[in-house]
Amino acid sequence: MNALEMLSEEVPHLQASFDPTIVFGGVTQYILWMVICWIITLVLIIAVGRKLTLIPKNKFVNTVEYGYQFVRNDMGEGIIGHGFKKHVPFLATMFFFILISNFVGLIPGCKTPTGTISVTWALATISFVYFNFWGVKAKGGLGYLKSFAPSGLPAVMVPIIWFLELISTCIRWLTLAVRLYGNMFAGHMVLGIFALASSVFLTCGIQALDPLTGVLSLPWFLLLVAMYALETLVAFLQAYVFTVLSAVYVQIATSTH
Amino acid sequence: MGEVTFVIAALKLVGYGLATIGPGLGIGIACYGCCVGTARQPEVGGRLFTNFIIGAALAEALALIGFVLAFIL
Repeated sequence: MNALEMLSEEVPHLQASFDPTIVFGGVTQYILWMVICWIITLVLIIAVGRKLTLIPKNKFVNTVEYGYQFVRNDMGEGIIGHGFKKHVPFLATMFFFILISNFVGLIPGCKTPTGTISVTWALATISFVYFNFWGVKAKGGLGYLKSFAPSGLPAVMVPIIWFLELISTCIRWLTLAVRLYGNMFAGHMVLGIFALASSVFLTCGIQALDPLTGVLSLPWFLLLVAMYALETLVAFLQAYVFTVLSAVYVQIATSTH
Repeated sequence: MGEVTFVIAALKLVGYGLATIGPGLGIGIACYGCCVGTARQPEVGGRLFTNFIIGAALAEALALIGFVLAFIL
């Protein structure tokens, strides 16, 4: 019981460690890591872009090219379909930036930039503005507003469906941001609690010379490793989901029925 | 007064817990359909998975609205 009490005392400190704190002059640790991830993405893409050959010989170049091909074929061609080429740069930028941000957060000692709502909110705003821009460009301002309601409805239903579709379009902004933030924040919180529990149980076992409490630290540690593996999957999946949903929204906005 | 605030804070968490039931069931059913479809016709697995992700994301939106409401209410 002593270990559990100690754990409940430690959890608020863990929560406080997730709050944005100023590193220097108005820059929080999340913004610092966002800039670092941005630089990593830029350096990665420029380094690969310089070494690009028709037949890839370099394993590193091949890996990044595979990632680009994944975005282009699975998300671009598979979802947007006709005229997908002009959207590939946007999708690839989003995918690589979010993927690198999520994976950097998995390294112990690093912070994940997508674990704060302000960064994901900015990313979602970019996506929202982007698909609305292309919708207006494809159909014209009034035509885009009209296209929220699917054609072929009875005239009575049109205003109701149009209004519901308008709300659902606006809610995409919120859900894109909160999905990424929620998944990354909650995942890191769970990892933190398991790591904390493992260390607290071990400390209590050593201090009180109680082998049972000390041994209980092992299942916590195994859970931590399992959750770490799951978080690695989630880190990739959330980058994929964000990009796929951006592609779907672009497809919905630009498609002419 | 302090007790009322505590009860409201607790009810928010209960409300969020209730809001996750529906999306949880929805994503479970979607995953079931995806698995069954892939088992019967493995060659459309990729396409089914993409559709599953989109459907799961739409169902998850409801849980996310509950998550946000728990904060802002």
